[in-house]
Amino acid sequence: MLSEKSLAEIARERAKYPADQARSALLAALRIAQEEQGYLSDAVMEYVADLLGIPAIQVYEVATFYSMYDLQPVGRHKLCVCGSVSCFLNGSDAILQHLSERLGVGLGETTADGLFTLQEVECLGACKDAPMLQVGDHYYGNLTPESLDALLAELRGGADDVR
Amino acid sequence: MPHIEIDGQAIEVAPGTTIMEAAESLGIYIPFFCYHPKLSVAANCRMCLVDVEKAPKPLPACATPVADGMKVATASRKAKMAQQGVLEFLLINHPLDCPICDQGGECPLQDITMGFANPHSHYTEEKRVVEDKNIGPLIATEMTRCIQCTRCVRFGQEIGGIMELGATGRGEHMAIGTYVAKAVQSELSGNMIDLCPVGALTSKPFRYKARSWELKHTPGLCPHCSTGCNTDVQSLGREVLRVLPRANQAVNEDWICDKGRYAYTGLQAEDRVTQPLLRVDGVWCEASWAEALDAALSGLEQMIARHGAGRLAGLISAQSSNEELLLFQALLRGLGSPHVDHRLRQQDFRADAAMPTYPALNMALEDLEREPVVLLCHAFPRQQQPLTNHRLRKSVLQGGKVIAIDSLRRDFNYPVTQLVADAGADLALYEALCSQLSGHAEKADAVPLAHVASDLLAADNPLILIGSALLHHPQAAAMIAQIETLAELAGGRVGWLAQEANSAGAWLSGCVPHRLPGGHTAPAPGLPADALWDADMRGFVLLGTEPGVDAMRGAAALAALQKAEFVLSITQFAGEAKQYADVILPMAAFAEGSGSFVNNEGRLQSFRAAVKMPGEARPAWKILRVLGDGLKLSGFQFNELSEVTAAWQHAIGDYALDVPPFHAFPTLEPVPEPMSADGLCRLGDWSIYQGDPLVRRAAPLAQPAVAKMHPDQAKALALRGDSVEISSHCGKISLPLVLDVRIPMGTVWVPAGYNETAALGATYATCAVTMATLPAVAASA
Repeated sequence: MLSEKSLAEIARERAKYPADQARSALLAALRIAQEEQGYLSDAVMEYVADLLGIPAIQVYEVATFYSMYDLQPVGRHKLCVCGSVSCFLNGSDAILQHLSERLGVGLGETTADGLFTLQEVECLGACKDAPMLQVGDHYYGNLTPESLDALLAELRGGADDVR
Repeated sequence: MPHIEIDGQAIEVAPGTTIMEAAESLGIYIPFFCYHPKLSVAANCRMCLVDVEKAPKPLPACATPVADGMKVATASRKAKMAQQGVLEFLLINHPLDCPICDQGGECPLQDITMGFANPHSHYTEEKRVVEDKNIGPLIATEMTRCIQCTRCVRFGQEIGGIMELGATGRGEHMAIGTYVAKAVQSELSGNMIDLCPVGALTSKPFRYKARSWELKHTPGLCPHCSTGCNTDVQSLGREVLRVLPRANQAVNEDWICDKGRYAYTGLQAEDRVTQPLLRVDGVWCEASWAEALDAALSGLEQMIARHGAGRLAGLISAQSSNEELLLFQALLRGLGSPHVDHRLRQQDFRADAAMPTYPALNMALEDLEREPVVLLCHAFPRQQQPLTNHRLRKSVLQGGKVIAIDSLRRDFNYPVTQLVADAGADLALYEALCSQLSGHAEKADAVPLAHVASDLLAADNPLILIGSALLHHPQAAAMIAQIETLAELAGGRVGWLAQEANSAGAWLSGCVPHRLPGGHTAPAPGLPADALWDADMRGFVLLGTEPGVDAMRGAAALAALQKAEFVLSITQFAGEAKQYADVILPMAAFAEGSGSFVNNEGRLQSFRAAVKMPGEARPAWKILRVLGDGLKLSGFQFNELSEVTAAWQHAIGDYALDVPPFHAFPTLEPVPEPMSADGLCRLGDWSIYQGDPLVRRAAPLAQPAVAKMHPDQAKALALRGDSVEISSHCGKISLPLVLDVRIPMGTVWVPAGYNETAALGATYATCAVTMATLPAVAASA
């Protein structure tokens, strides 16, 4: 179900913990599985459970707890808009509203072209740049409707990493 | 030892004791939801907050160890404010639907709210709603009521041994469930209902049947396995509505298994017989007791007059009470028949003379928890004796080692070293282990065997437990003899895991053909159960048993019963008996009669009726007494059950709790090898919910019969699709096929105890598996 490369990575993570504490490697294993598959299907969660030798429900518990794990297919770019205090006070609602209108999707939804998924997330620790969002591995701060439009245009243009 | 003070009362407790435990020993009540003495401490409900002097905040009593000089107040203003605050938070999302909640009246949340809450809530917003889950036919869920104490989750993890429920989501969205909708599988799952402090998990079969305060409670005894769990039988009027565990730390602790909890639902089966039935010219008609008894007596007398008492046999269920067992064998032996047995599932009786006085564990159940090394010989207590299994599980969790020898890999709920015999070569595996232990084995022998041998040799007096399934093997006698050798070589001691609730009582009471009550050797031994089917018996007396599915060779049993001239069936259910009986006498079922059982430890426990018998049903001991009286046999002059109990005690005497596990072995006549070279070895046993007439009729527990086979074996036989035909020398059946890597190559698992599988005959026989011939389907274009 997972590639050799992912399995090797999971094995490396697993080796960091004592033999009877396979559960400790779960966060990393799920991250690796999600990076390869795009999201965590029930099947891949069960596969990871078998791989680590832990009950499947323990995998579901962890996967549903952290908002960074996706349990449904997501678009190529996940727009994670922070909605916590600093960003909220600086107008994160308007940011979400703007993105929602531009993309034509609501929270947690994916655009028909499969390019964007819109999500609201908890504080990402970048309050100095509020309001902010995360796409891929990068943060974008001090957002305005104009900067959002520019960002969307670049992402639509095929860029993966917009700086 | 720390000295502490709780509510002004001083106490000295062991270091590491929690405030909760210290308060409990002082008799001071601290309210709680998530705490449970048998589970790990989660401290997540916060209900047990107490005021500790010098602590800045209230502390949870369940998770705070005492410290010397600690002063605790459980009812100070600070403690009360904490309790009120916690309750207000817990009730924010609780629906307060007590009037329609089955937990109402026995609900800690209700009680504690009454006792500790501030009557006013500040909350005016919307309550959250949690979707219900379908987690199978046993547990009803109403997850909006859940307060996330996680007792059910911890139970699955820590006691059940398989974690099936978990807490998914976070914060306000946290919910308890299985995530992927599926039925909970644990054989102990019902205990989660008892643990749930609110109405989130309730009993599905009991749902909306009654309010808890209307129920009458009668102390009962579970009749479904040899552990002898103590139960609380709850009834309303003439109906048993619920069976719950009755705490007895020496036997079942605080638990019972699902079989014991839900088997009562079978009492309402359609074929429950409540009126004596007579077969008149091939038609069943209801009769009065006088007519039915006349028919029974004259039927027996005529049969004996024609063929002699040697052609009469009696078979009784080992779920019968000591009193019934004693009278049953007295009836048969009084009539002159030596053929009395309760071991319908056994096929090899060569070791009868060597069998112990009764199948005794030879130790206390509690002591099983402390066994460092246990060898299970063809025993799967997880299905056969679930709460005895729980003791073994505890020993493993504390560092003990359990090794199992069996015909297939078993799904234990704790780590077990498993040695699996090659198809049909179970005896050879014991022999190989013996030669390993004696050091005569060749070096090339399998590594796991050598490991097991060295584990056993390294252990000081390891415990060897012979499982009830071992006796079902066609070479059981030789295997038992090997186990005796094995025990000597390993320097271990032997205990037996008895099968039925009163297997021990059946042996003690003389319901075996070669022993009289008290274990005395019978001067003229009769035939054992399995031999009766081929012995041209002309009359049968059956009590509480359905040989068609209870006997090892069900089809042969049915044929013999149908051929017999006269069959008297004393039973609760008429379904099968109508196929062969001439007279059916209705007897009391579970919770309707009184009596006593001897459990696996040799513990004598008694039970009394919880409800009245339906219709004209009578306790079996009374039926036997009247029959004995009517046949003018001596020793049947009883008026009260207590007189029979006294007679039983007189006949059995003071039996020992620890008995020698074997008597001297007779010379074992060789039996033909059960397996021929071609074909598969048919494995199989009575599955957990098929073991007796009552549990077979419990609809919520029903599991369909399926054949199981190793995926590679199925591939080798080119089996596709999901239905197969299995044929043995005595019959052919078809079943759905499930692939399972635990089934060894060269074998197929076909469960016993089902009407669908009875035709296949004995287990461990050779059989062939082919694709089911499906009805022709018109070829599509």
